Amino acid sequence: MAEPVLKISGVAKSYGANQVLKDINLEVGAQEIVGLLGPNGCGKSTLLNLSSGFARADAGSIIFGGHDITAWGVERIAQAGLVRTFQLPSMPHRMTVAEVLRAADSRGVQFKTMFAPDRSSMQEVDALLEGLSLSHVRNLPAGSLSGGQKKLLSIALALRTNPKLICLDEPTAGVHPNLRHSMVQLLRRVSERGIALLIVEHDMHFIRELCSRCVVLDRGEVIANCVPASLTSNERVVEAYLGSARDKGAIA
Amino acid sequence: MFDFLIHVLIMCCLYSMLALSLNLQVGFGGLMNFGQIALFGCGAYGAALAYKYDLGFASGILIAVGLSAFVSWAFAGIGRNLQSDYWGIATLALAEVVRIIVTNEGWLTGGAQGISGIKPLLPELSGRSQQLGNLAICGAVLLVALLACMRLTRSRYGLGLKLMREEPQLAQSVGYDIMSLKRGCMIFSGFIAAAAGFIFAHYITFVGPDQMFSSETFLIWAMIVIGGLGNHFGAVFGAFLLQFIFAFIPFVKDMLGLPTEFVAAMRLVLIGGGLIGFILWRRTGLFPEKVGGRADG
Repeated sequence: MAEPVLKISGVAKSYGANQVLKDINLEVGAQEIVGLLGPNGCGKSTLLNLSSGFARADAGSIIFGGHDITAWGVERIAQAGLVRTFQLPSMPHRMTVAEVLRAADSRGVQFKTMFAPDRSSMQEVDALLEGLSLSHVRNLPAGSLSGGQKKLLSIALALRTNPKLICLDEPTAGVHPNLRHSMVQLLRRVSERGIALLIVEHDMHFIRELCSRCVVLDRGEVIANCVPASLTSNERVVEAYLGSARDKGAIA
Repeated sequence: MFDFLIHVLIMCCLYSMLALSLNLQVGFGGLMNFGQIALFGCGAYGAALAYKYDLGFASGILIAVGLSAFVSWAFAGIGRNLQSDYWGIATLALAEVVRIIVTNEGWLTGGAQGISGIKPLLPELSGRSQQLGNLAICGAVLLVALLACMRLTRSRYGLGLKLMREEPQLAQSVGYDIMSLKRGCMIFSGFIAAAAGFIFAHYITFVGPDQMFSSETFLIWAMIVIGGLGNHFGAVFGAFLLQFIFAFIPFVKDMLGLPTEFVAAMRLVLIGGGLIGFILWRRTGLFPEKVGGRADG
């Protein structure tokens, strides 16, 4: 196998006495689409936070694109090509959708380029909006978009940074089924551009449609790492999601 | 009357620079700076120290630039993880620290007596022509500051500032270094405020710690809140409006035959009342920020 774009080895994280992640190992290959599943509170979002720099791992290492990013800050990781989206994306109210997209390309924005005219390609921004069927909201305040549109926009923002890997936090939660379908298509197109995807998701259908492999977490541990089709036959996964037969008996 | 009008216009230009500078921080960068007057003081004392130690005009500019860059850098760095409102409190405290240092280090700054007799900007001129010359200088510097601010907020840097203002986490997640944006915004706007202080010192020919009271900061805040946060023209308009009203309060007092205390009291009422009124009923100010478009936003 070629060198993975993201390699998480032996990562652990606790919040006080609560150990959220224990010795996690996970790899995402270049151009691969990996689903990250697990019941609520199993540590998926924490793992995303550690990878994107929003939190620090207590132990283990995270290698991205050949660099050890374990101790890097959010912006440095983003500049290196690992961007994340948020489960409930919040967008500015006093900037238009087009402005936010122009702003999203932060490369080369420094003190010395303070007065350099904005050379972001409007064609690129327009093409991106067109591809997401968001052209009609181009000049609206970004904060006024619906939840689903904000999710699409946050993927567009991630694309503007020229990423190697995008980590998506529940891209279909609260999204209309029609939009969900276009989300699958969009993410396929993203993947075809050579960008790897790590998707935290609860929707099994979505995972099956899109992912080539999925990793299941439960109580801070990896309990499965397989193709989506074999998930339902994996006892530990079924147990994690539905409870064990004995539990069911107890409920009955 | 004509000379008085010129004086009012000069003060309008100087306060406009302070308002532009604060508006860049608050209106565009979301940086709630309550210590703006300390940056003005850096410029004023730059001029005063150069005069006191006979270093010449150019060294005065260098001292002003150095002091304001240092204080702005300290403002940006202080409590780097604080939320905007707590950061605002820290800036207020820092500005007071600067004022108290200036008051107490008499050997350097002249203490509470300040430094007087600073050379005017155009010593070869006198009387009305000197005043007109001063106005021309103030107007020109204001224009340069305004154009620079407009250019900055239209650049990618300006877009980054706006993104940081409303969604700092989002800005970070697409690769913006929040600390460096903050620092850049503070240092650049610090230069504009220091320029106003520098010219003020040469114009009034006196610099003292009394010019650095925090009430001055709130006056500048009132100007940008009334003019319109996030709109450069709004900031300039707010500064002109309040300066003109203040200048003509004494005439109103005379007309109505009110006591002298009325003037100072009325100024305070206008600042406080204006701030409260606009925050309650017209948060966008007289000239609201333009979202999108190519205007001054």
